[in-house]
Amino acid sequence: MADRRITNRAMFWRIIRRLFGANPGRLFVMLLALGAGAAVTAALLNLQVDARRRLTTEFRAFGPNVLIIPKGSSAAGSETLPESTIHLVPVNLPNGRVTVSSTLYMVASVSVPQSGKSLPAVVAGTNPLGFVRVSVFSSSTSEANLNGPAPSMGEVCVAGARVAKQVGVEQDAELVLASGDRLESCRVALFHQTGGPEDNRIAIGLRTAQCLADLPNRISAIELIVPGTPVEIQSYIADLQRQLPDVDVRPIRQFTEGEARIYNRISGLLTATVGIVLLLTALCVMAAMTNVAMERRMDVGLMKAIGGSMRRVLRLFLAETALLGLAGGIIGGALGIFLSIGLGKAVFGVAARPRLIVYPVAVALTVVVAILSAFPLRRLASIRPASVFRGEA
Amino acid sequence: MFLRIVADSFGRRPRHKLLTGAALGLGMGVATAALSVSLDVGDRLAKEFRSLGANLIVTPQADSLPLEIGGVDYRPVNAGAYLPEADLPKLKTIFWHNNIVAFAPVLEVRAEALPFTREDGEREPGTWIADVPLIGTWAYHAVPLPDGGEFQTGIAKTNPWWQINGRWFSDDAKECVVGTAFARKNHIKIGDSISLAAGDVTKIPSPLKVTAVLSSGGPEDESIVVPISRAQSLAGKPGQYRKLYVSALTKPEDAFAKRDPKTFTPKEYDTWFCTPYISSIAFQIQQELPGTDVRVIRRVAEGEGAILTRVRMLLWLVTGAALLAAALAVGASSAASVIERRTEIGLMKALGAGSGTVGFLLAAEQLLLAFVGGGAGYALGILLARLVGEKVFGVAPEPSLIVFFVIIALAAGVTILGSAFPLRRASRYEPAPILRGE
Repeated sequence: MADRRITNRAMFWRIIRRLFGANPGRLFVMLLALGAGAAVTAALLNLQVDARRRLTTEFRAFGPNVLIIPKGSSAAGSETLPESTIHLVPVNLPNGRVTVSSTLYMVASVSVPQSGKSLPAVVAGTNPLGFVRVSVFSSSTSEANLNGPAPSMGEVCVAGARVAKQVGVEQDAELVLASGDRLESCRVALFHQTGGPEDNRIAIGLRTAQCLADLPNRISAIELIVPGTPVEIQSYIADLQRQLPDVDVRPIRQFTEGEARIYNRISGLLTATVGIVLLLTALCVMAAMTNVAMERRMDVGLMKAIGGSMRRVLRLFLAETALLGLAGGIIGGALGIFLSIGLGKAVFGVAARPRLIVYPVAVALTVVVAILSAFPLRRLASIRPASVFRGEA
Repeated sequence: MFLRIVADSFGRRPRHKLLTGAALGLGMGVATAALSVSLDVGDRLAKEFRSLGANLIVTPQADSLPLEIGGVDYRPVNAGAYLPEADLPKLKTIFWHNNIVAFAPVLEVRAEALPFTREDGEREPGTWIADVPLIGTWAYHAVPLPDGGEFQTGIAKTNPWWQINGRWFSDDAKECVVGTAFARKNHIKIGDSISLAAGDVTKIPSPLKVTAVLSSGGPEDESIVVPISRAQSLAGKPGQYRKLYVSALTKPEDAFAKRDPKTFTPKEYDTWFCTPYISSIAFQIQQELPGTDVRVIRRVAEGEGAILTRVRMLLWLVTGAALLAAALAVGASSAASVIERRTEIGLMKALGAGSGTVGFLLAAEQLLLAFVGGGAGYALGILLARLVGEKVFGVAPEPSLIVFFVIIALAAGVTILGSAFPLRRASRYEPAPILRGE
């Protein structure tokens, strides 16, 4: 009995080997269809997971999305905050760092020593590196200039386009800022045009501004760039407000709400597209495979003629397609993951991190599709071997 | 005879052909759906991005520098320049007028407010509140167009993140909307009335009815929003405004758009002018409204551009992957259908058909299948794209004829390519061994 089983098993695998070896063209075609499906499945699943995370990073192109201001004031007006508040802001989030920049606003008289022109303008004192970072998205010309000497506190300032135009100052010229009887001077390192209120402001180092305003260690507002999905940002704001009850933490609604809307749209679109592509690809591969499987009636007829029961015949074919699915899935899935790394790099400039969970899922899906596609062979159960051989059916 | 053989091939093995056709149709369905969505998504997303509000700001060229901190302007009342409201319909006459989604003029003024508290159904004046920021603007305003017709626009469209609890005022009624912080501080509710005055008050002006409470998360929460005509009369500047927000649909800026328009050759200039880049729209507005400074709100425009480019690219890649998978699966399917027909090919050759005739016959059969399958796939794909479009954007993408031709061409190309390889091998078959079953 045991002997028979061993012989049976040996025979089973021999037939399987033969099935593979008999028609290399057909084998190649089936592997191609299955592999293509597996590759696309793996690539899209990987990209889908990665793209949603990456999108939230992209949204930071809009700049600050959360504002911390003194309690009770409508905006960054006359009231100020202690500078130490900035250290209470948690910056390390699971999906990236929060960028923090604090600012002190004041009105000062701005004059150019050469021309003697003078006018009142808003002066924004920011942490020196902070204002450079904020101005990166401002204009194309400023980006080139950023590679120049690193600005040091107090010495350089960034002039908004409209201030510069009205006061008639040129690059590298000196500006004198006066508030009450306090004076500070700075060199204009670069201009920027943002279309926002920054155009009407002069940005200088925070220390210089504090000296000028005679408000040591005080700031008017803290701007945060918080990464994450809209929901995560909401909960971050709520947590921060609880942590800092003495200040007002408010989302910059224009961006938080717009982002939420757009994020939902894009991620919905991506999910829907990927879902449809995967479903149709699976069906398409299945149709192609079934087509090939249906050609096997001769084989089925022969096996039945020499005494194979339908169950055993079917088991043979299922084993064959499952093996094919496994091979196609393993090759295609690996290809797809490499593909998605390349695609991620092309779209977001950063290679998509391969998710290992995607690989077994893609392989399993391919095997399932392969097995399902062999099922129509069951219809062959009713075949009478003789009619197959006579070429009737 | 040729047609008979083809017809016979379909009739004799209907299930087989059906499966090949199904594979083709499904594959092309994927391709169609992905293509339609990708083609459509740029415009749809650009519209979505308008929920970020205006991307252009127009100010008078001769204006003095605003001393604005946190949205509050500390300039003296009469400093600065103004622009005429009557010029605004011209905005809809620029080359890209269809891309201008909304615009709203703004005139800010400071005034004194006298709320009437309403208790026991009786109106009783409270005390004057000094120095209240007023924002005069259009809520929903019908702008008459030069070619007849009207254009509905206003602050509700340029600043869509402003949340209104109630309804916007009508532009000609004695109504206003109060900011939520101001309302809370002065205990004002919807239905109350407020009198507004500037300068010396000799008699209490007729009050405005509060129709809504505004929550914007910004400095507007502290102010009162009134129809622009009301702000104009308080400021003594009838028919004038100071800031204009414009929300326009644009094409993300590429390297070309970032160049200085002055360095363009005439041909490049035409290309630039006829592309809805934000810079060319700004230029056209400036031409139409003399004496203005049109600035791009970089924060909105560049963030939008960056994300739009990324998403579009992402979807094109998904489409590319879908096309590839569909092509491979369909190609495999048609290759299989040729491989399995060795006996038939052998028979035909034994009966005297040349390799060319056999190849032609099989190719014709495959092409016929490709057209039918491709057509069905197109219909299926359009249906799915419609589903996605409606689900995600609430609007179905327009079926495009280009996509149809692309899909049919793709289907034909893929099937021919898929069958070409086995067909070439088939042409080398010796009929005798095949017929003998070897």
